[in-house]
Amino acid sequence: MPRIYIDGRPIDADAGQTVMQAAVAAGIEIPAFCWHPNLSVSGSCRVCAVQVEGRSWVEISCNMPVAEDLKVLTDTDLVRAYRKSILELTTLNHPVDCGICDKSGECTLQDYHYEHNGKPSNSRDVKVHATKFHHLSERITLDNERCILCSRCVRFTHEISKTKSLGIVNRGDHSLVRASEDGAFEHDAYSDNVVDICPVGALLSRAFLYKSRVWYLEPTPSVCPGCSRGCTVDLWHRKAEWKLRALDPAKNVAIERVTPRDNPAVNGPWTCNKARDLPAFFERPRAVQAMLAGKPVATLEAIEAARSLVACARNPVALVSNWGSNEELAAFAQALAARFTVRVKTDWAPQPGEVVEDAILIRADKNPNTAGACSRFPAMDDPAAKLPDGCDLVLAWGEGFDLTRVPRGARLVVLDAWRDPGHENADVFIPTSIQTERDGSYTNFQGVTSGFKACFAKPEAAVHAEELFAALGVRESVPA
Amino acid sequence: MNAPERRNLLMTFEVTPTSHLLADFRARGGYAAVEKALRTMTPKEITEEVTASGIQGRGGANFSAGRKWGVINLSDGQPHYLCANADEGEPGTFKDRWILENAPHLLLESMLIAAYALQVRHAFIYIRGEFDLPYRRIAGALDEAYAAGYYGKPLFGTDFTCDLIVYRGAGSYVCGEASGLLSSLEGKRGYPRNRPPRLTVRGLYQRPTVVNNVETLSNIAGIIMDGTEAFKSFGTRKSPGTRLVSISGHINKPGVYEVEPGRPFREFIFDTCGGVPHGRKVKAIIPGGISTKVVTGEEVDRVRLDNEDLATVGSGMGSGGMVVIAEGTCMVRLLQVLLRFYHHESCGQCTPCREGMGWMHRIIDRIVAGEGRPEDIEQLKKISAWNDGNTICGMGDAAGYAALGILAKFGDEFEHYITHKRSRHDGNLECRAST
Repeated sequence: MPRIYIDGRPIDADAGQTVMQAAVAAGIEIPAFCWHPNLSVSGSCRVCAVQVEGRSWVEISCNMPVAEDLKVLTDTDLVRAYRKSILELTTLNHPVDCGICDKSGECTLQDYHYEHNGKPSNSRDVKVHATKFHHLSERITLDNERCILCSRCVRFTHEISKTKSLGIVNRGDHSLVRASEDGAFEHDAYSDNVVDICPVGALLSRAFLYKSRVWYLEPTPSVCPGCSRGCTVDLWHRKAEWKLRALDPAKNVAIERVTPRDNPAVNGPWTCNKARDLPAFFERPRAVQAMLAGKPVATLEAIEAARSLVACARNPVALVSNWGSNEELAAFAQALAARFTVRVKTDWAPQPGEVVEDAILIRADKNPNTAGACSRFPAMDDPAAKLPDGCDLVLAWGEGFDLTRVPRGARLVVLDAWRDPGHENADVFIPTSIQTERDGSYTNFQGVTSGFKACFAKPEAAVHAEELFAALGVRESVPA
Repeated sequence: MNAPERRNLLMTFEVTPTSHLLADFRARGGYAAVEKALRTMTPKEITEEVTASGIQGRGGANFSAGRKWGVINLSDGQPHYLCANADEGEPGTFKDRWILENAPHLLLESMLIAAYALQVRHAFIYIRGEFDLPYRRIAGALDEAYAAGYYGKPLFGTDFTCDLIVYRGAGSYVCGEASGLLSSLEGKRGYPRNRPPRLTVRGLYQRPTVVNNVETLSNIAGIIMDGTEAFKSFGTRKSPGTRLVSISGHINKPGVYEVEPGRPFREFIFDTCGGVPHGRKVKAIIPGGISTKVVTGEEVDRVRLDNEDLATVGSGMGSGGMVVIAEGTCMVRLLQVLLRFYHHESCGQCTPCREGMGWMHRIIDRIVAGEGRPEDIEQLKKISAWNDGNTICGMGDAAGYAALGILAKFGDEFEHYITHKRSRHDGNLECRAST
């Protein structure tokens, strides 16, 4: 364990670390554009330069190995002057169009400029012009003028997503980031991560383009339900104090974008494109009307009907959703499980065109809480098999249930959050809340449990399954 | 020509239509050094011999070749690689071309010795893409050497075998930088790499690699054959041996010359190379490729032609590419040409060189167009200084030297140009009879 000193502060670094890694581990911030903790060292931006005590020159900390008794200074006159010069060069051909840039407000270049330079450019020559709105793929657009050629995106596709689909063409200040001609970037299931790691507003999500200023948004921690990896993500939605009164009020309850939340135990700083498409997934048409045999009724009425069906059933079968949170599953286990034959239902199977499984993050099980459900109810439901003979009540919870599987003569209670014409055929249908409307947790395939928080209120008619199960478990009707 | 005595190590023969062929090379005693090395010396002894000779790299950085070789650990169980840097792209430099065209077997023999000393199974020659005749000559010589059994077969009763691959670059200046060269050789974009690690620790395919200039390597055979003392009897104590110098520009006899370091600079220019056309005076000389700082005519008169003496006027021998600039040449236009080159050839990997070279080029273009501002000179100096020591590769550092040198010694011409919006010398870059 070599002991190094950063600005006089002793730090026990690991052998083989760089000064930058040791500093980050100790919570010391050294500015960097091209360096990223999960990518290889590029050394190209030069802004992480530091001075070693006793030397009259600066060196980059991202490529400086730690050595016993190394004394690093990050705030000398020389370092400050050098950083300023690098920022002057970095912004030289940068359009500084922060006013119309999506990255504005969370841009590293913007932050560093104010922190380390803060002066207008010394150059009065014409800037180098380059392509704007170069669509690298259906998902990503690139503004080459804003690009500072840190090569993070290039290294990402080479080292993390392994598609090797981005590269740099041309030389010098005419260098351009470009996608390979074989279209590999279009099929890169992790391509949206390059938007997050871009230190400037060069790489932009076309889905989020011009949708909102980032300072109007706040993140709510959540878990991607797209597969059993359970990547921790942030769902970005409009802050309460910036609620729109005019215009489109739907924007107030919209998820504007999804970003990964760094979690070394599960997904690191990455997540796949499926997580980025969660807004579309969550904005599918909702079921907001309780029904008795297709007839709209008040939710309380439907709950009472379901309760009495459960109470008098002799051989009921429950298909519990592997999209249920651990809390909902626990509530079911406590209130109802003893009376039911319980099977864990698989709500989602891989869809056509979707990456089924890879060696990076994506798992073949496209449901978030199979591990959590199976730890309570070991029996899995086989969608191809018949339900047990003699069952007189089926409680189907969650999406994707094939109604034809219900045995003749059995009653059917369906709990679902999404609109589906099949619900009209259920004896009782009760709409439920979705993940963004409640707190809870999922357990991923590794056994790691990650929690999510509510960001919006549930529709009035919908119920939280956790509360519903307690109500269904009551044997006698409670007089109103 | 009043050459008193031929004091040459490399240009020891008359160039004839067949002098580059194996038969002629053997008649001159070729491939005897490699036989001597393999039969009588251990790899370690060869490296020691090369270190003792004090030979410095001829590519421009003047780093001791023996010390570079000494870093290679022969018993580390890894493959080692040797690469000859024949990507001679420094403007003004064309001396390696002479070796490749006229003495290709000397390089091949020397590389065999170096490969043996470094226990290299596969060696490479990375040759500049624009080199046509040199490529054909070295490729032809390699065919001859393979046919004669020097390459690809165990040599002289030992179990040492070496294969050599000639790889043609695509003409990038930065691929002449050792690590950029290896990136290019690996099939990647020719971006230089960060140090540490040194290439002798992790180079080609992440293995210990020695990259030497063609001229450096070509001297090895002579050092092994004649011994270090013979080699050190040439040149000065700190710069032993001879240097190939390619001279061009405003000079009566341009070409490649072999010179002994320590010769008076002026004597070389006026006696050997015939002086400046039309009897002009020397205004300045770029002594070792455009990345070395310019030397004024007055300084040429008093320095000797070696690294130590040139360092006293802020310059060096560099890669041996000399450009003579006659009186009456516009230094502003000259710097414009140089900066256009650096802007064009900057690989664009690290910020100071990528942005700085373009910025300097735009400033000098503006000055030449008569739209210069007084603060431009300071700005040029500032940008050059930002590059110095702060880039990934040495070429980024050196890109600023040209401007720093010219601005320091001919700053008044720039002021004149900016104030009067025209050149003091009519923007002249040529050396004509009248004007």
